[in-house]
Amino acid sequence: MRRVLVTHVESPVGRRVAKALFHDPDVGLVVGLGTGAEPSFLAPYRGKVAYQRLDLAKARHLQSFLHSERFARVRPDSVIHLPFAAEQSGERVPGGVHTLVSETRRLVEECAEQRGIDRFVYLSSAFVYEPVPGNGNVISESQLLGFEGERDPLVRAWIDADLVCQGELHGPSLCMTILRAATIVTEAGDFLNSPPLAHRDAALGYDPMLAVVSDRDVARALVLALHADRPGIYNIAGNEVFPRSQLAAGAPRSTLAFGALALAERLWRRAPPPSRDFDRYGMVPSARLAAETLGFEPQYRIEVRGSGAARRIDTIRCR
Amino acid sequence: MSDEPGTPLGPSLGSDPFAQGDGTLPYLIRLRERSMRVVVAEAAPARVRRAARTQRADPPDLGPPVPELPSFDDRDESAGALDRLAGWILTGSDEDRLVQLLASLGGRPYDQFGLSPRVTRRTLALFKLLYKYWFRVESSGHAVLPEKEGAILAANHGGLLPFDASMIVVDGVLGATPPRLVRTIVDRWAGTLPFVNVFYARVGQIMGSRDNVRELLRQQQLVLIFPEGMAGVRKRAAERYVLQPFHLGFVEESLRHRVPIIPIAVVGADDQAPVLWDVQPLAKLLRLPFFPITPTFPLFGLAGLLPYPVRYEIAYGEPFRFYDEFPPEALEDPHAVRYMAERVRRRIQEMVDQRVLARRSKRA
Repeated sequence: MRRVLVTHVESPVGRRVAKALFHDPDVGLVVGLGTGAEPSFLAPYRGKVAYQRLDLAKARHLQSFLHSERFARVRPDSVIHLPFAAEQSGERVPGGVHTLVSETRRLVEECAEQRGIDRFVYLSSAFVYEPVPGNGNVISESQLLGFEGERDPLVRAWIDADLVCQGELHGPSLCMTILRAATIVTEAGDFLNSPPLAHRDAALGYDPMLAVVSDRDVARALVLALHADRPGIYNIAGNEVFPRSQLAAGAPRSTLAFGALALAERLWRRAPPPSRDFDRYGMVPSARLAAETLGFEPQYRIEVRGSGAARRIDTIRCR
Repeated sequence: MSDEPGTPLGPSLGSDPFAQGDGTLPYLIRLRERSMRVVVAEAAPARVRRAARTQRADPPDLGPPVPELPSFDDRDESAGALDRLAGWILTGSDEDRLVQLLASLGGRPYDQFGLSPRVTRRTLALFKLLYKYWFRVESSGHAVLPEKEGAILAANHGGLLPFDASMIVVDGVLGATPPRLVRTIVDRWAGTLPFVNVFYARVGQIMGSRDNVRELLRQQQLVLIFPEGMAGVRKRAAERYVLQPFHLGFVEESLRHRVPIIPIAVVGADDQAPVLWDVQPLAKLLRLPFFPITPTFPLFGLAGLLPYPVRYEIAYGEPFRFYDEFPPEALEDPHAVRYMAERVRRRIQEMVDQRVLARRSKRA
């Protein structure tokens, strides 16, 4: 019976993971970590799911929890790290390192030192891959990460945090699994983890394809990764792919004339803003490896109806 | 929905993946109904056919009902008119072929690469006009195209704009039995161009990368590659129909995935816009792959890039199955791979030469 620590349990994916683990007969205990008061949705799961208020961004908080009597009593053997709550805050620590990176590094180091913890599942983003036209439209795990050029600070943080976890991939103490999720769609039709959909600007002449995956499927993939003894990197995506214009809610506030910028680039060798590369080039990760190795199959289909302000996103169970 | 040739489409619809409530279903069903209606009309007595023709000529009743807009494109106000236009150009048989092709999408509104059934249908209608009336394409040897399996189609490249690729794609849909959707591998540079990259994606053309080719071959698709690359397009008029050295990637992928290479000779493309001179300094300045001077470009501006109405000939040759001739280790041997690529190049050159010679003798 696994005893699992779930970080950022109050996030939309954390909620799904807590529920999935609650119903998992192979999981004995779940400890959800969060920064605020205990979320009300955990109330029905109290018998198996405990909550611990803890700010992972603060080193002392984590240290004192790991050496507390409560931790010794719980003795978790696995960690599911979901950095989405931290990513939305956009906070930075004084050293200029994004909180997402610092907390991930701290957590990975502490878990590697803790003898009891042998499994670490990290939810990363598919947007760590380099957005260039030369990339495969269907991106495998071996594609290059977006080191080149100037990236959005948040995307840079995802890449750095991903690299921190990659550092433990072949480590002796932790069985590290990194799941790189495509654009996550919540039940309410919101998007997580998608820079092209984070703003309402559109790039004139570009409409990149984006793979989507339901938050329930992501939670399922995390649980599968928890139980499979298969360290490695896996893409997680649903079967549906949509153009950005169809997923974006509301009419675009402004349209960036990337065409003109591209022309300017050709004429005066002026590069367009690099952080907007995701507005031009799609991100469709291939989840084949996860299907073959972890047995991941999307169970929910995403449907997009209408467009603009009338756009509606439905998540429909298909299996 | 079965994509077996000749399989009746109607009865199977109840159990196919489209019957899951997807927005593509009404669209495809209407396409099918429309093609069935055309068949019924042909079998009807002359009086009924005349009445149908009269009805067709009446502007308020533009033939069959306009396909209902699928949910994934509701925002497009002009969709009805364009679809109606496409309905006029495409015959029932064409629509039927299209339905068979799009069935492979598995009911999704877009495939992984961004192919949209609606845009494909409209574009097919437009390019059918070019195929029949502008380039007057004659094609032969479709029998070598596999019915379901994947293959690499290797063709010679010419002309400024890739009409040779589009004609092969149209030929695959309208000429091959069963119809096959040919996925062309497009130069990466095109992927950076606004509007062009979206158009290519929606009609099923793919940006050039090894991963994309592998994915397509895994899906058992027909992948059209121009092994000459840009060199084929920018060659001067004096080098017309002389194949440039081949890149080797297509042979490696053929060996890796054990799929045949089907040589294709395209005659006509090199005449559609003969390049007199490639101004490399200007191309470098504008960061373009080449800057051509043709009899009409840049004299007539961008309109000068349009192709001349030359006759096209597309011929499919016997497939090369190098994976049967050579051991798997040949993949690691650059000399062997180069030898195989050279064999394909020579074969295509022979096919092209035969047809060019026949044309010249006919003119003489």
